[in-house]
Amino acid sequence: MISVKNLYHSYSNDEKYAVKDVSFEITEGEVFGFLGPSGAGKSTTQGILTGLLQLQKGDVTVAGYDIKHIKNEMFNKIGMSFEQSNVYSKMTGKENLEFYRKLFDVKTREPQELLDLVGLGDKGDIKAGEYSKGMKHRLTFARSMINNPTLWFLDEPTTGLDPAIASEIKSIIKEKNKEGVTIFLTTHNMFIADELCDRVGFIVDGEIKLIDSPKNLKLLYGEKFVDVEYVDGKETKKESLSFMEKEDIGRLKEILDSYEIRTMHTKEATLEEIFIKVTGRELV
Amino acid sequence: MKLWHSFVKELQLSSKSWYFYIEVGMAVVLLLILLLAVPEETDSRTDEYLYAGGLPSDYVDLIYKGLLDDEDEDSEYERVQIKTGGDLFGADLFVTDTRNIYFVDDREAVLRLAKEDKEVGIEIIPGRDGGLDYLYYLQGYESQKLKNLYMVLQNNKVNYKFVERHMDRQTVETIEKDPFVLNNRENIVPVFLTYNGSLMGLFIIAAYIFLDKKEGIAMAYAVTASKVWHYLMSKIGVMMVTTISTGLILVIPVMGARANYPLLLLLVVATAFAFSSLGLVVTTYYRDMMQSFGAFFIIIVAMILPNISYFAPSWEPSWIKYFPTYHILEGFKEAISIGGSAGYVVFVSIGFLAAGLILFLFANYRFKKTLTI
Repeated sequence: MISVKNLYHSYSNDEKYAVKDVSFEITEGEVFGFLGPSGAGKSTTQGILTGLLQLQKGDVTVAGYDIKHIKNEMFNKIGMSFEQSNVYSKMTGKENLEFYRKLFDVKTREPQELLDLVGLGDKGDIKAGEYSKGMKHRLTFARSMINNPTLWFLDEPTTGLDPAIASEIKSIIKEKNKEGVTIFLTTHNMFIADELCDRVGFIVDGEIKLIDSPKNLKLLYGEKFVDVEYVDGKETKKESLSFMEKEDIGRLKEILDSYEIRTMHTKEATLEEIFIKVTGRELV
Repeated sequence: MKLWHSFVKELQLSSKSWYFYIEVGMAVVLLLILLLAVPEETDSRTDEYLYAGGLPSDYVDLIYKGLLDDEDEDSEYERVQIKTGGDLFGADLFVTDTRNIYFVDDREAVLRLAKEDKEVGIEIIPGRDGGLDYLYYLQGYESQKLKNLYMVLQNNKVNYKFVERHMDRQTVETIEKDPFVLNNRENIVPVFLTYNGSLMGLFIIAAYIFLDKKEGIAMAYAVTASKVWHYLMSKIGVMMVTTISTGLILVIPVMGARANYPLLLLLVVATAFAFSSLGLVVTTYYRDMMQSFGAFFIIIVAMILPNISYFAPSWEPSWIKYFPTYHILEGFKEAISIGGSAGYVVFVSIGFLAAGLILFLFANYRFKKTLTI
């Protein structure tokens, strides 16, 4: 569905690349997470894939279209949900969707149906300018589905949403993926990536460091830990010990034999910890 | 169809925006100025203040008789009071077709009028040769040429009869018989149409585009199956509708049925298209309104220059005709004048449509690269 080969992009048209030698492929029906800290090159790559930025160097095909010569009909197949809400504030939620549906050549979804889906069913006649930040974000998200896209670009889809709404959004994403929609998810939220993505790509300083499934990454790079809290005399102590290190296993046995245990929890390495381990960078 | 939907949407949005009402409000204000503050005809007579008290009364009677017989419109002078420097002075007023001539009773009045009211004061005194000499009280900044002219015409320093004979020999040829002349109020309409109409699109379209960019709407549009030129043309369409509306607000109450409306609308549409397209081109080189302000300011100032030759036709250097607004002003003038040159208006309109198309194509090319930046 997406093929990127040796992609480079420079905003200053010199050797200072925001994206350098990026290559990856995404198959149909896959949920691909593009992960990295701010300024890593996620948005630049996504901008090129969606035609918002001009392709400078490299070969990119999206939904069967060569990005070097973008055709408008390509946008009938793709949907794009922006991180920053960008709706007409002087139009109602319904008017926004009504307008955008007329800009596609394919069968579109009913605005009310989409508003209902994202929990704005009873807010459709209110001007978008009067919406809260979260509501605008949901409207932007709903708009990205108006043309029934087969390839869906999602940029931080749950940012700024309360947990209940975020959970609904995640459910919609999962549902769409079940229907066969390919999803390109850009985020720095590793929990969402872990939950939704079939594969993730780590990008730092414009370069892809690694691409694999979250499960494989945990097997390859993750360590299982146990957090143990015990009583040593009058003092309560806490230690985090690895199941992979012999020394830590010995220490755990010693604690179990010698002290009164207060609490003990096993812990799996998170995608965020793996990201830090692989890239040496925090996800800020 | 997508272009139509975009245009309708833009029209709805503009009807909810301040810019539209600012333009309409401005047109109403300009109309009120035209109707309430600009007289249809201006009295172009100049005021002259003379004191002849130092002359023998026979001389004064002779001057009065000459004025009444040859120049005064109703062959009667009027007794009036002139206020200057806080005091009232009596004067005899003669009204000719070009001048209001006041013969004041007091020499002090002439001096005060010259000093405090910056008027030209003249004292007629007996000349050494038995004729009349004219003593002018000037402001001090008059050119030597003007002073020389006074010398020639009034003080007989050269042979005036010779000058008069020379002037009489000149042939005056009438190029156009009974030309239609706009009155003062009507004459200002082309200026308002040009600057509040045609040129306004330059600014307003930039404001709309920068607002869309700021709110990210331009990006949302860019990922639809609609073309960039639809987006741009829908904005221009709104500019045309606004310009037509504000133009008609100004023209209908002043000109009534006398203007040639089809020609007028053709020129309004052509110029709005050209300047809106120019506005689009400019916006592609800047990120926001603040950054682009300098470029717009230079363009506007340059476009104002032809105004000078419009109101002062004696100043019309050949290069001023290279400014588009020169032809817009003249075109609007022709379109609202009875018997105006339709050919000129059509020619100018075609020129602006062609220029607008070139600018629009260039803007479209540039926007494909910059709309989402």
